Amino acid sequence: MQYKLIKSPLTGQINAVTIIGKNICIPFDPANTDYQNFKKEVLAGAELQDADGNVMTQEQANQFVGGLA
Amino acid sequence: MPIVLDGSLGVTTPMYNGSITANAVTPSVNMKNRIINGAMVIDQRNAGASSLASNSTYYLDRWGFFASQNNKFNIGQNLGSVTPPAGFTNYLGLNVASAVSVASGDYFSVAQKIEGFNIADLGWGTANAKTVTLSFQVYSSLTGTFGAVFRNSSNARAYPFTYTISSANTWTSISVTVVGDTTGTWNTNNSSGIEIWWNLGAGSTFSTTAGAWAAGNFTAPTGATSVVGTNGATFYITGVQLEVGSTATSFDYRPYGTELALCQRYYVQFLGSNAYEQLCIGMSSTNQNGYCVVPLPVTMRSTPTLTYSTVSTTLRWTQLDNSFNGTAIAIDQSSTKTPQIYLTVASGMTSYRTGFITANNSTSAYVGFSSEL
Repeated sequence: MQYKLIKSPLTGQINAVTIIGKNICIPFDPANTDYQNFKKEVLAGAELQDADGNVMTQEQANQFVGGLA
Repeated sequence: MPIVLDGSLGVTTPMYNGSITANAVTPSVNMKNRIINGAMVIDQRNAGASSLASNSTYYLDRWGFFASQNNKFNIGQNLGSVTPPAGFTNYLGLNVASAVSVASGDYFSVAQKIEGFNIADLGWGTANAKTVTLSFQVYSSLTGTFGAVFRNSSNARAYPFTYTISSANTWTSISVTVVGDTTGTWNTNNSSGIEIWWNLGAGSTFSTTAGAWAAGNFTAPTGATSVVGTNGATFYITGVQLEVGSTATSFDYRPYGTELALCQRYYVQFLGSNAYEQLCIGMSSTNQNGYCVVPLPVTMRSTPTLTYSTVSTTLRWTQLDNSFNGTAIAIDQSSTKTPQIYLTVASGMTSYRTGFITANNSTSAYVGFSSEL
């Protein structure tokens, strides 16, 4: 699974993530099971891209996910 | 003197003293059945179409498939087109697309996860845990001993049980009574409370003794028939009911609108019924982004995930007489009641003008919101 962060055009804040190749957009909500799986999978090594499509290193990805609620 | 409802003579009311006794007539009880879409009527995602089953994916509303391997089963509403059992018009059907000889770490199940709020009164995890009875109708091309499991969401508690299908290709009524678990953690909030997994094949890692509560992550009783082991084998199920007590009572048919609303707490789909259906109304913020606030018909379990049809071929933004093909869609403000989404186009929109996300000459266009467990 490959994930890509999404930046809100209105606020400029990262507020969602998509799974590349799937028609899905996941909000950052701890009660959302897709969000729970996103965090689990990234921490387990799944690829995470920033909002511009650059692949984050595992360390960067872990740091980003670790800072989320 | 009590008022007696005897089911034949109506209500006799010599003098009402505040006591009502019901005889013969079973009064309607709200949410007697803790299973949602137990009659397999609601299929918002696929409208009766079948597909290959993938892990952690929902097909009929509220019914998920969970497995260690994808694409081994076909799954869909009324798959196989057999006659449903008396009193039902639909069933959840699976057949084996590619047989698997299960390894120790394999598991294949179809399941319903019940929200904690809807089982909070059962008191599971306490000394006052209530007994429940699960009933369902099942049909398979195989015969033998099959299995299912009551589980909690942390995969730490499980009650595997067996049931028998004696006649192949025949609907069989099953009823199982389970004494509630007095230990373990059983959520009573908006997360998963009780999960019931019907086993379709499992290895030794996920199998344990039937008929007793066990600590651990189990999806099957030891020795249960492996449906996935036989190419083309079928497994159909409907009329699923979970109720308090030690007796299976008649299936609790709910009005279609009620059942749909119950499902929409977990998934709702706005689907184009014509080629240019307007899916939601909003306003453009720039020449590239059109925003819609979508009032959901039911408050969802959690802020939902946005799902959608292929943007470039099925969705567009329409304002006045102009339309712009979509290039991307996303959720901006998450909400359990009124999420805000936006459609991005290449350019050309007029800013701050009312518009719509519409189907782009496509009857398969949709936006959906999912907060499944």
